[in-house]
Amino acid sequence: MPQIEFINVTKKYEGNFTALDQISFSVEDGEFVFLVGPSGAGKSTVAKILIREERCDSGQVLLNGQDVMELSYEDIPKLRRKVGVVFQDFKLLDSKNVYENVSVALEVVDSSDAEIRSIVPNILSMVGLSEKKLSYPKQLSGGEKQRLCIARAMTHEPDVLIADEPTGNIDPDASLQVIELLEKINSLGTTVIMASHDEKLVDRLKKRVIRMEKGVIVSDKKGGKYRG
Amino acid sequence: MANIWKNLMGHIKKDKLLSASNLIVMTVTFLLLGVFISVVVYSQTALKYLEEQAQITIFFKDEFTEDKIFVYKTKFENDKRILSAKYVSKEDALRIFKEMNKDEPILLESISASILPASLEIKAKNISDLKVLTEEYKKMDGVEDVSFFEDVIQKFSSWSKTIYIVGFLLVITFLVVSYSVIIATLKASINSKGQELEIMKLVGASDDYVKKPFLYQGVFFGLVSSLIASFVVFLLNLGVDKLSIFSKGLSLGFIPGFYINPLVFSLILCFILLLSGFLLGFLGSTTAIKRYLKY
Repeated sequence: MPQIEFINVTKKYEGNFTALDQISFSVEDGEFVFLVGPSGAGKSTVAKILIREERCDSGQVLLNGQDVMELSYEDIPKLRRKVGVVFQDFKLLDSKNVYENVSVALEVVDSSDAEIRSIVPNILSMVGLSEKKLSYPKQLSGGEKQRLCIARAMTHEPDVLIADEPTGNIDPDASLQVIELLEKINSLGTTVIMASHDEKLVDRLKKRVIRMEKGVIVSDKKGGKYRG
Repeated sequence: MANIWKNLMGHIKKDKLLSASNLIVMTVTFLLLGVFISVVVYSQTALKYLEEQAQITIFFKDEFTEDKIFVYKTKFENDKRILSAKYVSKEDALRIFKEMNKDEPILLESISASILPASLEIKAKNISDLKVLTEEYKKMDGVEDVSFFEDVIQKFSSWSKTIYIVGFLLVITFLVVSYSVIIATLKASINSKGQELEIMKLVGASDDYVKKPFLYQGVFFGLVSSLIASFVVFLLNLGVDKLSIFSKGLSLGFIPGFYINPLVFSLILCFILLLSGFLLGFLGSTTAIKRYLKY
């Protein structure tokens, strides 16, 4: 059974804009998949639907066989602990430092102080931000912010990590560090789905590439390239 | 617990001005509620006291014999509108008169029992019947005059009613204002934390985790303001108690013949205020969360 399945999923926004038009694909446990395509292709919508930030209009979205759209309101937080998300715009709390930005993900599930003290330093060490734990987001570079986002997304040891254009706002060197980090996470068994329109990066990694345009999947190849 | 307190103080500090005005308006509301309930109970007690005094006195002509007066007395005692009928003989009347005028010996020298009329003191079950009863008694044979304390009792009764209505309207108005201010305060808190709440939800926060701090904030405002009001109302009631006006205790109008110790009444009132504070805070925050927390 695939870990993630999108079956004939359609999503329309106000003004009858079709973000996803009957798309179907599946992702196996432990895979690294690129979702590529121009802006407006529907990549971010896939991520939003997978964490139930948005609902699809028709079709089925399955995670480990469970229909995500059928989840009760109370079960959505549990889903979001299984599926970590890294946002292009970081979504960091400016009033909290690096350590607190990570620990907030544990506080919201009522983790004890002892648990937080043992988990957060390990995660910060994994993403290379131990030295910056007292810095605030405004004091971090774009790459560091993105690594902080990854750290926060990994606190619940999710089954799946979705990175929505994580290199979109950072320089090439920082992008490389972020990609290396995502590969490391993937090698430890976490499924990674990364939305990107960084052609060079996608081509170099030779992973499975799902190409989307105007809400439909135009190609899906293992070891594929950005342009198919 | 430490976390809840820290978060709560953080929320309040962020909107200091709004929080302060919220606390002031709610304290005034509960103060009014406490004073209103106290005034209602005090006026009920005073009214009860007045009602227990003789309300109608029927004076009889000298030639109307005691036997005939007793026939009336029995008749009145069988009347469902009458609570009691007490006979006051000419001698009793003289004794009362002497007691009332003991400081005026010259006046007392010229008075004898024969010139004072015998009378019946009537208490009605319902003071609204006083006027009708008086008219009936005036027409009866042997009656010289009928006096009744219509003015005192009915004026007091109508003043009490006015106080009840004005007090009730004031309390309702302030309850509505407090309720709205709680909602406005929490709306400001929710809006200022919008991004933080959105992020919390995206990283797996349960609904309860996001909602609870706002719920605690509303309940905190309700409890603190009602606690301040309870303290002030308790002191006021203690002051009234020290004046020893209500030696018999306080009457609760809806329980006839029941009197309560003023201190016990004050404690019950404080409990009612605290409970109202809790409920107002809880309901206000629940509404604000439902209406504005869309993250």
